[in-house]
Order: sequence, then C-alpha cells, then structure tokens
Amino acid sequence: MESKILKPILAVYVGLFLLFLYGPFFVLGTLSFQQGPEGGPQFPIIEWSTYWYRHLFGMVPPSRIAPLPVGEALIRSLTLAFMTMVTATVLGVMAAQAFRKRFRGAGVVFYLIVLGMMVPGVLTGLGTSLLANNVLGIERHWWTTAFVAHVVYTFPFAFLVMLAILNRFDGSVEEASWSLGVSPIRTFRKVTFPLIFPGVLSAMLFAFTLSFDEFPRTLFASGRDQTLPLAIYGTFSVEIHPNIFAFGVMTTLFSFALLAVYGILMGLSVRRAKKQAMQEDIA
Amino acid sequence: MSDTTAPKGKLKSATPWLIAPGVVWMILFLVAPIVMIIYVSFWTQSTFSIDSTLTLASWKNFFSSEAYVGALWTTIRLWLIVLFLTFIIGYPAALFVGLLVKSKTVSTVLLVLCVIPFWTSFLIRVLAWRPMLGKEGAINIILMKAGIIAQPIEVLLFSELSVVIGMTQIYVVFMVGPIAFMLGRIDRNIIEAARDLGAGFGRIFWKIILPLSMPGVVVGAIFVSVMVLGEFATSGALSGRKVNLLGNIIVTQVGSLKWAMASVVGVILTVLLGIVVAGFLRIVDLKREL
Repeated sequence: MESKILKPILAVYVGLFLLFLYGPFFVLGTLSFQQGPEGGPQFPIIEWSTYWYRHLFGMVPPSRIAPLPVGEALIRSLTLAFMTMVTATVLGVMAAQAFRKRFRGAGVVFYLIVLGMMVPGVLTGLGTSLLANNVLGIERHWWTTAFVAHVVYTFPFAFLVMLAILNRFDGSVEEASWSLGVSPIRTFRKVTFPLIFPGVLSAMLFAFTLSFDEFPRTLFASGRDQTLPLAIYGTFSVEIHPNIFAFGVMTTLFSFALLAVYGILMGLSVRRAKKQAMQEDIA
Repeated sequence: MSDTTAPKGKLKSATPWLIAPGVVWMILFLVAPIVMIIYVSFWTQSTFSIDSTLTLASWKNFFSSEAYVGALWTTIRLWLIVLFLTFIIGYPAALFVGLLVKSKTVSTVLLVLCVIPFWTSFLIRVLAWRPMLGKEGAINIILMKAGIIAQPIEVLLFSELSVVIGMTQIYVVFMVGPIAFMLGRIDRNIIEAARDLGAGFGRIFWKIILPLSMPGVVVGAIFVSVMVLGEFATSGALSGRKVNLLGNIIVTQVGSLKWAMASVVGVILTVLLGIVVAGFLRIVDLKREL
C-alpha cells in the first residue's frame, strides 16, 4: 500500500536529485555562451555568443583577458594519462592473473594494492614529493614523480576490474590449449587475452580518465610544468572568466568522445566473440 | 623462459613474477612515501631548510597553534556534516534506483545518469558553483525575483555552507552506488513475505531493508569519508580561504617549503583516516557480507 504512494514520491525525488547532480553542468553549459569579452562568469546571460569558444582557440582579437594556458598542458596531460593507462593496465592484468591461483600472502598483497586508491591524493602526493625532494634530491616532473603517483592511484582500479573479469573466467579453455602443447605465453595471447579483452578495455578507460583528471597528487608531485588540472587550478586564485566554462564543456565533450571509442571497441569485441561462438556452434 | 616444462607447474611458478612488479611499485611509491611522511614529521625545520635531526618541535608547534588544531576540528566537523548529508540525500535515491524500480534497464540507466557528471573535470564542476551561489548568483536572482528574499543571501558563497554544498554534490554519488547495489541484491521474497504477514512499509524498512543495506552504507561512508577528509580543492575554491581543512594546511605548508609541518599534518590526517575506516569496518564485516 504505502509503496504505491512512496514510489511516485521517490521518483520525483530522484528527478530532483539528478537536477542537483547536473546543476553545475547546466551552469557551465549556459555560461560558456556568455557574451564576450565584457560578460562575466555570472547570470544572467547578456547576449548569447560563441565568443569564449573562439577565445579558447585564439580566434578573437587580443583582449585584456589572457587565453587559458592550456595548449601544452593538454598535451602533457594526454601523454601522462596514456603512460599511466598502459602501465596501470599491464600491472593490473598481471596482478589479477596472479590472483587466480591461491598464494601465500594474497590477503596482504590485495590490501596493499587497494590501499593505492584509498589513501587520499594529498598524502601520496606529499609523500612522493618528500621522497623525491628531501631524500633522493631529484627534481619533480610530471613524467617522473607525478607519473608514479598516478599509477599508484589507477593500478588498483585496473586490478579490481580485471579481478572481477577473471573471477567469471572459465579456465578450462586455457587448460585445453596447454594440453594441446601450446606454450603459456602463446595461450595467454591467443586464448586468454581475447576473452578478457573487454575487461582490459574497461581498465584502460578507468586508468586514462582518472589520470587525465587527477589533481591532488599532481599538484604536489609534478614540479614546474603544469598538467591540465593544474592549469585550471591556477585560474582559481585570479579572476575567473567564462572561457574556463567553455573549456569545461570542451573537455566534457572530449570525455564523451573517449567513451564512444570505448563503446565502439567494446561492441566490436563482443560481436567478434559472438561470431566465434556461432562458428563453434556450426562446427 | 623456456616452454619445455609442463604448463601447469609453469603457471604456478609464474605467480611471483606476475605479482612482483605491482607489489614493488606499491612498496616504493606508496608505502615508502607514507613512511617518509612519518619520518619527516620529526625533522628539524628552519626557515629555509630542513635537516634530518630528529625533534618534536613541529609536533609541539601543531598542537600549540590554534589555527592548526582549529583546522583539525573543522575537518572533522565538515566531514561529519557532509557524511550525514550524503547519506540522507543519497539513501532515498538509492532506494528508488536499487529496490523500487522493477526494470533492470531503468535502474542501470539511472545509475549511468548519476555517473555522467563525473566526465566533466572535477575542478570545473567545483568552480561552476560560484555563479550559482554568489551574491549575484543564480540562486539569489531566482529567490529575489520570486519575492522570497529582499536582500541577496551572502553566506551562500565563500562560506562553510558553500563548501558543504559543493562537497555533498560531488560525493553523494559514491554513497548512492554501493547502497543501490546492496538494495538490488535483497531477495524480494523476504519483503513480500513480511508484507503478507501484515508488516507496513515503515516496519519493513527498519527491520529488513535498512539492515540488509548496511554493508552498502558502510562502503559508501568509507568512500565519502576518505575523499572528504583528504579534500582541499573544494574548500579552496568555494570558501575564499575562510575554511581551512587539514588538506589546505598541507598545501600551504608545502608551498612555503615547510616540509616538517606539512608532514605532521599528513600524519594526523593518516591517523584520523585510519580510525574512521577501522571504525566503519567494525560496524559491518564486509568480507562476510560481500
């Protein structure tokens, strides 16, 4: 009885809840079309324009508002995210593969890995820069200290995704391959890997996006050259302009593009698997 | 590696090689840095340099400074407020998504909708609260147009309130996800049986739904706690430097090369986190429940 009343009320509530989640989304979407260069980052919209998008790409005459220093930062962030993605995924696949067998100390190793995603970035960032700065006496760079900190953060995600995939994995196909005399490495490449590929893709997606948007670890560990989140953070202390919102919209679209690529690759691999299964059925 | 030995034995012996890189990486770049924080917190700090002579000076400094101890209390207070709000706001949403929605597709779609905002840069999402909450912000404009208020509300932005709003909005999803997951696993027959025996929804909720979703609540609470306690960006962006959390202290101390003091705050934060997480894990035995 009560759930008859409760359900519609909660449905409305969830609607409001989503509105709350998407609030900032609407704000930046709207304000990115603020008139420029006089229009500030606030409501109401004086006049709709694409000024701030053109401003982002340097397509407007110079004004008192400097363009966002994002060009090089963007390239650094993409490179860093790519490096992190490859390393974290390789480590994650290897570790998860090891966890298919029971081994001594598995519990400790599990917690050690998961710790990487649980310890706040401010602590790993601080610790990494202490280690580099005060003990080893090496300079901090985005591609050294920040990179290792990013892997510490993303490797656990890749590991957990792979663990979930391998948990449902039927080991008999591998055994069949081994018993036919195929070497373990070749078996992994030809049998195991294609089967776990969707998981690998998900792990890569996780690692890339987490690293691309990573901020606290990078703040401490990256030294002089800024990554994208650091460049954005740099604008916090000075006056903000709608160009930052236009940029927010652009990065969101970029993320969606990435998600689309993921979706397409996933679809392809699923279709290939289906095709193979069908061929096997026929045979 | 040769391929001549039996594959089975080979895989077993491969385990250490598969696990070693990850473990070494985590020891070198996670455990060692944290140990370093503890170690450096006892170093001697002078104005421009730091040396490894052990001293308690920075620790004494922390506990005798009102600003630092104040930051500790602010962190704990904000954490409790945000934790409470994410639970209160998140639970009903999770209840709907995880339990009341009958179709699996709808519930998946709703969860995906919750996750999509995360594809926008975290910092820009935080920043987007400024035009909402400011003195000339959207909320004030709407309230004044509606005639509800005559003067703009100024405490909305650059206050503790704006930090709470910002954090709640960013972290509430981490509460919704695990709770919805646990609610989705509840056997509907139990609820059906209770209803047949004449239990009202209130009773079913308190006696069945809430207890069975506790593991989800605990996981969500751990996520939210870990993230809120280590926060500094949201408070930096939305409080106008009025709200200083432990994280903010660490950032400013590192900024002025006061590594020892930053480390002291780091250790305190670590201890706080340890207590909180251990406390939550005592409530529910996650290993058994999941």
